Amino acid sequence: MRSRVLTGLLLAAAVALAAPQALAQPCFIFVHGKQTNTNTYTSYSAARSYWVSGSRDFVATATRNFTASYYVVGYNGTRPYWDAQAAGEVANEIVNATNGGNDGGGHHCALSYAQGGSFWVIAHSMGGPVMDFILGNDDASDPNYNFNGPYSTVASRISLAITLSGAHRGSEGADAVCGNGSFLCNFIAQFIQSCDDATWWLRSSDDVQVKTYSNAPARNVYLTGGYEAIFGASACLSGEDDGVVQYASIYACNGSATASYDNSNVCGNGAKQESSGFLNLDGAHENHDDIRNDSDRDTRRQVPDGIWTCGGSPCAPNTQVQSSMSSAQFVSILW
Amino acid sequence: MTTTKKTLDTTRSAAPILASAAAALLLLLGAAAPALAQAADPAGTPASLAARAAASYRQAARYPDDSRPLPPGADDPVRAKRLAQPHSHAGAGEGAPVITVWAGAVSYEAPHPVELHATVDGPGAAGKGRRAVVATLTGEVVDSSGELVGTVTYRDDGEGADRRAGDGVYSALFALPADVDPGLATSYGVRVRAVTADGAFVDAIDGFLYGKPKAHLTGNFRDAVVDGNLVIEAEVNVEEAGRFHLAGTVGDVKGNPLGWAQAAARLEPGSHWLELSFYGLMFQERGASGPFRLLSAALSTTTAMPNALNDLVEDAHRTRAYPLARFTGRPFDNPGLLQAAERLEGAPGGRGK
Repeated sequence: MRSRVLTGLLLAAAVALAAPQALAQPCFIFVHGKQTNTNTYTSYSAARSYWVSGSRDFVATATRNFTASYYVVGYNGTRPYWDAQAAGEVANEIVNATNGGNDGGGHHCALSYAQGGSFWVIAHSMGGPVMDFILGNDDASDPNYNFNGPYSTVASRISLAITLSGAHRGSEGADAVCGNGSFLCNFIAQFIQSCDDATWWLRSSDDVQVKTYSNAPARNVYLTGGYEAIFGASACLSGEDDGVVQYASIYACNGSATASYDNSNVCGNGAKQESSGFLNLDGAHENHDDIRNDSDRDTRRQVPDGIWTCGGSPCAPNTQVQSSMSSAQFVSILW
Repeated sequence: MTTTKKTLDTTRSAAPILASAAAALLLLLGAAAPALAQAADPAGTPASLAARAAASYRQAARYPDDSRPLPPGADDPVRAKRLAQPHSHAGAGEGAPVITVWAGAVSYEAPHPVELHATVDGPGAAGKGRRAVVATLTGEVVDSSGELVGTVTYRDDGEGADRRAGDGVYSALFALPADVDPGLATSYGVRVRAVTADGAFVDAIDGFLYGKPKAHLTGNFRDAVVDGNLVIEAEVNVEEAGRFHLAGTVGDVKGNPLGWAQAAARLEPGSHWLELSFYGLMFQERGASGPFRLLSAALSTTTAMPNALNDLVEDAHRTRAYPLARFTGRPFDNPGLLQAAERLEGAPGGRGK
């Protein structure tokens, strides 16, 4: 009996010591990218698997082995980023997460918004323009205010978003699939497969870009992306790219969506698709798949206005700042 | 544009793998990741993201959501959103030409014809900036389902949409067939193919929005200073009930952009005034007194997606002269942004490391 009491006291003490920190952690909300079918919308396991490769799991790593709580969103990745089953679904799920509700797998944020929780959204690929559309249409003065979901509630509750190779300015891969791309360019079809509605709205043309239908994001969107090219596919993309999305899009640059950039000269925070709200983090030697599943722990480099400091000052662009760190590990050291 | 060298996959050495294994082990044991990162790679340390975000929200909170300042030297963001940017695509293989395509604007109002342009350079990277000899340059206009809507032939003869003969810029005019109804607005793609004199070819896809906005600016504007802010009202003639959005950029008399504002409302048919309220602090911070110019005004019908975008109106209005003292110097204290900052500052690292 005495031993049981002691165990209980020790356990309570451990919880008391750990709890304040655990409760102060942000809850991570994961928003996947373009899909070639509706699996992630209809199946939680498909949405969860999106972030996993073998024994590697972005969610586990980014949350420091689940020290922080998380919620995995699943939406219809074959629909345009602005669609009710894309942005609308994502907005509704984020609000559910911030209310303390469960995701499809029964996971929920440790604290609801009302309890003082904070929420970071991690979005990959098409998840970028989905979040841009939500956060850029949260105010009654915005072009598409609360278009098909509670965008204003999302913006008021999340602290920030981090995009992993976000297709903010579309993808030249989508151009290749929807145009008369050459054989080599159509290699990209392996990743995008068809010119469905989602792909159509991810082209480089300005008439389909999220910036045309949104205002500046109400919460900061932090940008990281891959520069590990994929043989064949990358021949169709301008400048550095991750095999599917080019740097001009990953870093939400203003001007042409097909401008050629690298880690030294990609647009800084003053030259984005909106006049505020898009901010650079760094670049990773990961391809479009690696960056979402923690499978490639490789070099990272500073980009202009990036987050890394060297000796107390911002590192020079293109400085190698890490030699073996995945984007999942990178996220894990940001909180 | 800058030419860059692609970074292909590399063979991974044992050291990173070992470091990764150690990292994974420590992560599983719950060790503090930042310490690991710093120990493994002293080259860099990431600044606290929460602290950075909180600081930026406090800075942004000086302004309301519907009006923001622009830094000196910034482009007009409202105008920029209506300018179609050129897109370049290289053909397959080393000697392939490079095609650059662009539309005359992001969006066209019915029944105006659409201007399409293209240049062909090359061959290969060495030929960048050197016009290729073009044999044919054609385009297929398709909708999002891929259905053919029409075809165009680009010419460099100084006729129609082509501004100057023989300058290497090929142009075409496209009129939407009378039996095709774009509804409120439709996104069309243009599949362009150029064949050079030596038989090489290159493809690209461009696009434009074609729509029928349900309201138009009449050209009447009026201005006043209200509660320390510059208010420019624009008269709108609504032809069909819906939701409408107006954005505008204000600048000094020399045309330097100072800030933007936007407004949106559901309106019934008839004449209405939409109000752009430029928060006064932006003039105080730049030391800018009137008169001011409304450098651009962009109206849209936003009842559905895609929105129907009206033609951009540039240099739309010049205000009366207002002394600087009439504008507020008080920060707006945007409550949503301040609350977001407070929440971040309560998180680990939120007040900086």
